[in-house]
Amino acid sequence: MTTTDNSGDVRLSGIGKTYGSFTAVHPLDLTVPQGSFFALLGASGCGKTTTLRMIAGLEEPTQGTVHLGDQDVTHLPPYKRPVNTVFQSYALFPHLDIFENVAFGLRRRGIKSVKKQVEEMLELVQLGEQARKKPHQLSGGQQQRVAVARALINHPKVLLLDEPLGALDLKLRRQMQLELKRIQTEVGITFVHVTHDQEEAMTMADTVAVMNAGRVEQLGSPADLYENPGTTFVANFLGTSNLIEAEVDSTSGDDLVLKAGGGKLVLPRARCSAPATAGGKVLVGVRPEKISLTHADDAGEIPEGRNRLTGKIADASFIGVSTQYVVESPVCDELAVYVQNVERDGRLVPGADVVLHWSPAHTFGLDAAQDIDAGVETLEEEAA
Amino acid sequence: MPFVTWLKRHLVVIAGLLTLSYLLLPNVIVTVFSFNRPKGRFNYEWQQFSLDAWRQPCGVADMCGSLSISLQIAVWATVGATLLGTMIAFALVRYRFRARGAVNSLIFLPMAMPEVVMAASLLTLFLNMGAQLGFWTILIAHIMFCLSFVVTAVKARVMSMDPRLEEAARDLYAGPAQTFLRVTLPIAAPGIAAGALLSFALSFDDFIITNFNAGSTVTFPMFVWGSAQRGTPVQINVIGTAMFLVAVLFVLASMLIGNRRNRQKA
Repeated sequence: MTTTDNSGDVRLSGIGKTYGSFTAVHPLDLTVPQGSFFALLGASGCGKTTTLRMIAGLEEPTQGTVHLGDQDVTHLPPYKRPVNTVFQSYALFPHLDIFENVAFGLRRRGIKSVKKQVEEMLELVQLGEQARKKPHQLSGGQQQRVAVARALINHPKVLLLDEPLGALDLKLRRQMQLELKRIQTEVGITFVHVTHDQEEAMTMADTVAVMNAGRVEQLGSPADLYENPGTTFVANFLGTSNLIEAEVDSTSGDDLVLKAGGGKLVLPRARCSAPATAGGKVLVGVRPEKISLTHADDAGEIPEGRNRLTGKIADASFIGVSTQYVVESPVCDELAVYVQNVERDGRLVPGADVVLHWSPAHTFGLDAAQDIDAGVETLEEEAA
Repeated sequence: MPFVTWLKRHLVVIAGLLTLSYLLLPNVIVTVFSFNRPKGRFNYEWQQFSLDAWRQPCGVADMCGSLSISLQIAVWATVGATLLGTMIAFALVRYRFRARGAVNSLIFLPMAMPEVVMAASLLTLFLNMGAQLGFWTILIAHIMFCLSFVVTAVKARVMSMDPRLEEAARDLYAGPAQTFLRVTLPIAAPGIAAGALLSFALSFDDFIITNFNAGSTVTFPMFVWGSAQRGTPVQINVIGTAMFLVAVLFVLASMLIGNRRNRQKA
């Protein structure tokens, strides 16, 4: 199936969807290259599923066009598009057995001898034994694999996955993530995957588009998004970020020197997505695992050139591989710090005075004119 | 106290058997009396075992004619009510149109209204229209009161249907007609079948509405009613028993098919 042409490209140009006065998707441009594993990530109601449904043809866009390769499919009904979907909750046909579910697409296209293909496909998803069972007799993970097989057997140009792992428990989800990734590599079809699980998106996709309130906030590789978030939403939604309000003091070479509380912090200019002029405000961000924690008594041992903040441990939770601290600091009441449990310092208990320090290279700067907590609440909601 | 323990353990079974016998006793009586050879015209006292009535089920004048009319009306009423009712149910669940709410509640009226009232109003309507009372007026009346039952049964089924199933079908290259035939209809089928069975039973044994609108046509329930004034032929019990047996066979067959399917799956 691997081809070098661009027939599996998905190109969305200015595509948008409004329901009455509610804008589900603001006009957006997006190109998913042939053969890539692309994830649309966002909280529920951010427009990611609507975007997917517009690619599938199940939703008519209010404006803009959808191209598959060079073909304009904007006004084609779903049954005429070379695209197949794996639905959330799978939508397996309850009155048909597994074999007929998988054969459905082939039969509708008038293919007579489906037996060999269906059997091969069921082997691929390791369900050869279950062919004559009804969907409700299978476990969630098995149903999910049937849904994938039912879509893949048609050799679509693009496979759309609408939160396909949402109904599975954590362990099974991890397993299916790897499984899907394996299948994608094997068949080489373009996958567009919608999810609200940032870990899932980062594990599986080559490229992630983070969506918020009907807009694409940022697009990039998982590592790029994680290390260089462009907005507070991305910083908070993908993992956890400590964001500190600071003022630009001066510039020195390629670095910006910032004032936060009483101290100074250094931020490489290249890692600041905000316009930074002296006196302007920026948000300084740093990931919790990049921060080291030293007891205040040993503050002298901290190497020069590192960003420092002082604080007091408010809470510590031991979670095996690491310990997660919450540190109160004059510049921010809750700083998260994750420390690997390599050599544990017995003095780092709640109430202890500490110095937080990290390399300036791990600092990122964001525009201060945005909601510092964007993306935080949604994460907590999902966890609840 | 072994008896009390035994009773406690089997209380549910005993209660079940008692209920069942309460329900089946009338049928048993009907069956037993179909083998009676009554003295005089009334078949109310057991006299002597006989197979006469079973040998000549149509031995009574006009009875089999009325049975055939009843069956024809029941079949056509079922077909008509099921077709219309299924379409109405889909319309009510799937589409938003003006007066949808009103239709939704009005459709239940025939179920709630006293039959005598409905029968009388229908008769008024037919007479004012100058319609000839008979087979067709009965059929129209039956379709009307069966409709609400079909709509109720099918609506419940369509409402509980996941709309994503049809989307999945469209996504898998099924056009609108194919989607309906291959996915929508098979999934709604149990509701449609339930509505059809109800319609058949309701139409077959309806007396009040039929009696008002029949003109000179005589259906089976009307025949039974009429003959009960003058004497009850044993053949009525034969027909009753036969219907009961057919129903039991249907139930057994569906159970057997269900069991075999389950065993195949396991």
